[in-house]
Amino acid sequence: MAGQRVLTDSEVIKAVLGGDREAFGGLVERYQKGLATYIYHMVHHYEEALELSQEVFIKVFESLDRYDGQYKFSTWLYKIASNHTIDHLRRQHMTTTSIQQREDDPDMPDLPLESATLGPEEAYRNKMLLVEVQKALKDLPPSYRELILLRHFNFRSYEEMAKITGLPIGTVKNRIFRARQILMEKLEEFR
Amino acid sequence: MTGKEDTERCTKILALLPRFIENDFTVEESAEILEHLSKCPACQAEYESMKRLLNTLEDMPSIGVPRSFKDAVMRHLPPSKEAGDS
Repeated sequence: MAGQRVLTDSEVIKAVLGGDREAFGGLVERYQKGLATYIYHMVHHYEEALELSQEVFIKVFESLDRYDGQYKFSTWLYKIASNHTIDHLRRQHMTTTSIQQREDDPDMPDLPLESATLGPEEAYRNKMLLVEVQKALKDLPPSYRELILLRHFNFRSYEEMAKITGLPIGTVKNRIFRARQILMEKLEEFR
Repeated sequence: MTGKEDTERCTKILALLPRFIENDFTVEESAEILEHLSKCPACQAEYESMKRLLNTLEDMPSIGVPRSFKDAVMRHLPPSKEAGDS
């Protein structure tokens, strides 16, 4: 017997809107890792990232009947995630310490040192560079950090990034070029 | 070429690099950039740095999501809207 066909996002949404709540779990499974990682790199706290991701999925469920099928579901999902995360950072900035003053997350995922293709020295150098890049990314203004993540972690097109952030494409491009320049200036490796 | 022309050429090439690195360029731009990079170590170094930064960003690890995550989301979903609800 042939394996079961994987439903498209649109088919899952139709099923959910038709009353099959459990089908929503399929969308959660499909996007949870990418979404939680995107939010994690925005807030730099593991538990907070999971909590915000959960809230985003609940918001998505609540407004699923307003989803416009002419857009990719993932673009809509990240638009909701972007608004929710930026709001969270704004609230946090107003009510607690500045983002820069927060301690590093003790749960920050450790990165594998081993590599099938690199020697131990180069793998170590790459790991250190990655840690530095993550620190530099953390210091970027959230609106710039978000664009870097959407482009280079989620591999979004500029058109999708414009829809997610609500910015004109020209602004998205200018900001991302500027953000990369700031990262390069901050990183000793690139000076 | 004079030093001033060199500087102007470098400025022009450096402005094109962000698009070039994302394969967004015309044939003419590509030829001009590649020719300049082959002769200018400073711009070549800038190009290599940019590529290295992008590669590093694209290699950022994903975080692990607990198996219980989906169940937690499903448990917290609000009741479905019934037809006729106001």
